[in-house]
Amino acid sequence: MTPEIIRANIHQARSLIKAFLSKEHCRIGLMSSFTGQEIFFLLLDPTHSKSQILIVEIDGVNYTSFSDQFPQLHWYERSIKDFFDLTPLGHPRLRSNFVPSAFDIELAPLQMQLEFAPERKDRSRDFRFMKVAGEGIYEVPVGPVHAGIIEPGHFRLSCLGEYIQNLELRFGYLHRGVEKTITKMPWQKVRYVVEAASSDTACANAIAHARAIESLFDFDISESENLLRIAALETERVAMHIFDLGGMAVDLGCAGVASILSRLRGDALEIAERLSGSRFLRAFIVPGGSKFRGDNILDFKHIRSLIQPLALEIEFIVEWFLDNAQVAERLTGVGKISHNLAGDFGLVGVGARASGIAYDARAAYESAAYFRSNFKMALEENGDGDCLARTKIRFKELLNSLIILEDVLARLQEHDLTEFQANHVISALPVKLPENKVAFGITEAFRGELIHVVKTDAHGAIERYAIKDPSFNNWTAMAICARGNLLADFPICNKSFALSYSGHDL
Amino acid sequence: MIRLLKQLLDTGCKSQRTIINDLPNYALGLPAFALDKECTNGCKACVETCPTSAIEAVEADFSNIQLDLGACIGCNLCVETCPSGMLKSSLTTATSTDNRNDLVLGKLSSQIVDPGLNQKKKGIFKQSLAVRVVSTGCSACDLEIGAAFNPIFDASRFGLSLVASPRAADALLVTGPCPKGMHEPLRRTYEAMSEPKLVIACGSCAISGGIHKHGYAEANGLDSILPVDVYIPGCPPHPWSIIHGLQKAMSL
Repeated sequence: MTPEIIRANIHQARSLIKAFLSKEHCRIGLMSSFTGQEIFFLLLDPTHSKSQILIVEIDGVNYTSFSDQFPQLHWYERSIKDFFDLTPLGHPRLRSNFVPSAFDIELAPLQMQLEFAPERKDRSRDFRFMKVAGEGIYEVPVGPVHAGIIEPGHFRLSCLGEYIQNLELRFGYLHRGVEKTITKMPWQKVRYVVEAASSDTACANAIAHARAIESLFDFDISESENLLRIAALETERVAMHIFDLGGMAVDLGCAGVASILSRLRGDALEIAERLSGSRFLRAFIVPGGSKFRGDNILDFKHIRSLIQPLALEIEFIVEWFLDNAQVAERLTGVGKISHNLAGDFGLVGVGARASGIAYDARAAYESAAYFRSNFKMALEENGDGDCLARTKIRFKELLNSLIILEDVLARLQEHDLTEFQANHVISALPVKLPENKVAFGITEAFRGELIHVVKTDAHGAIERYAIKDPSFNNWTAMAICARGNLLADFPICNKSFALSYSGHDL
Repeated sequence: MIRLLKQLLDTGCKSQRTIINDLPNYALGLPAFALDKECTNGCKACVETCPTSAIEAVEADFSNIQLDLGACIGCNLCVETCPSGMLKSSLTTATSTDNRNDLVLGKLSSQIVDPGLNQKKKGIFKQSLAVRVVSTGCSACDLEIGAAFNPIFDASRFGLSLVASPRAADALLVTGPCPKGMHEPLRRTYEAMSEPKLVIACGSCAISGGIHKHGYAEANGLDSILPVDVYIPGCPPHPWSIIHGLQKAMSL
């Protein structure tokens, strides 16, 4: 989408954002900087499918932190400090989102002013953990190398007895410099980098990227291409929701359920492979359309026939799992996130909907095709947002995705496949990007709202490319929800959110 | 409960009976050279189109090209753009090797030749291999390692096991491009393992840095940090490729 651009000074910005957030469902999609001389906010109005970019010029190397008034911005301000070396004065807890020992303090990879060298009192990129003091308090460090097959991240748990008093997160182990790499390559190749930013979300990343690029060109894809994208996105959601439910079963000790779900995930991956040739739907969605592979290979009828048996098996086993008294006992009341807290911290995805926040980017920003395919937002109306609520939302979404998938494939079956061949490759778009333009792409990945913002310079090259993974919004909530729970319940809290480390670190 | 038991009985055994199977014909594999075809002279379509610069021209006239599977992400763009049909998608999953140079394909070595795993195994870990996974990447390889141990591929039946501590491990299986933040944790994990020990690089990122190489985060693969014994190419490698690589490690 192409947002409306508004400019304001820092004082006006505060009141503008406050007024904007007081409107129902309005939210901040992203806060970052383009070149290091300004800060921008992407303001989303999902009810009217509208968007604005608010640009605030920064004089010097400091600005007054917005976090005291808008808590959800505290993590973005950390990132802006890391990438651009702009310091938010008065930030409640400014720590680095890079691994402090690995990256030099002088490094500000996206800062574009060459002579930029602020005077620093504190020259270290230090990460001091919060000290919880008192008799009997002890710390449990977890990670970065975890016991299971999982990405690296560090958790510092301060406990009293068996109860968690505080959980602090330290990430950045996976920081690969994705946003910088993108600005150094031709835009036609960028899609491979965004897919590899977080490969469990490869398809959603590719769709958000494709939409951002298409918006730059004001290019609309055809109805059938859109259906193919919906099919791909929902396949990814099905596969990953099965995986996350299976992960929850592992953490609760239900090895049998976990084993069955890991087999069923294989069935979902077969759908993905038949659709795109890749089990992770890699290299399939292309700006301007999708990579069509010939009608002799793509057999929508056969793919569709795989869905019904899968849905029946999943429904049976997950219902059995959730009806189990021990499972309900372990999940109920654990890791609560209140409705107000979820709103203040701008939660997205499963975590938000389990706390009663009715926001699904599919409902707001997708084309009408979704609504014709029985899309129904899973929402816990009076949800107290505990682990059980999140698991149930995930299950409901999974079943709904299977219904959408079946419906979309049925409609694709009726489409004339030669339509795809007409505009299937990237060559449908001009070679050069339009100059000095800002656009963004938004989609609902299986974890929640995913945003890609792209800005081009005067020569039509990508000057800034920002990716906001849904995990970026939700990690804080995961840290908060563990407080007051048993140490043994921490893995369950973590798994109920099922967030990405690589998507956060980029 | 009775319904559950009935369901389990009806499902039966889902493990694949044949091992290291080829990919199905609708899947995209890693590229390989077709020996019966010749490059169009002066054409450099594949070199230009490759997103990770895995394809290089050996001579200036592009009559002889080299393909590094250790950097290939399997997008198959080169196969689609190749006008002469010299590049094709290879569906084999027996792709792992203990020699980095084997992954560089040229005219003489058009694809990885697997000497066969069923030959007599002589390795110290020939009976069983305890594997410690350290992820430094985007989680696709991690998901595929997890899949290799699911009931369909069931890597456990080959004597493979995943262990939770480097102290208990024989082999270190590393995924991802190893960015700067992970250099120190990787070294410390390696030091914590007891001798003898093996290191396996899983996926194109771990082998060469893949799509992330040459950035300021120094995500250039595992080779620069630890001595690597087995390479498993792919982005991500298929579970059968991972099992093939682990079996290769058992035969070393």
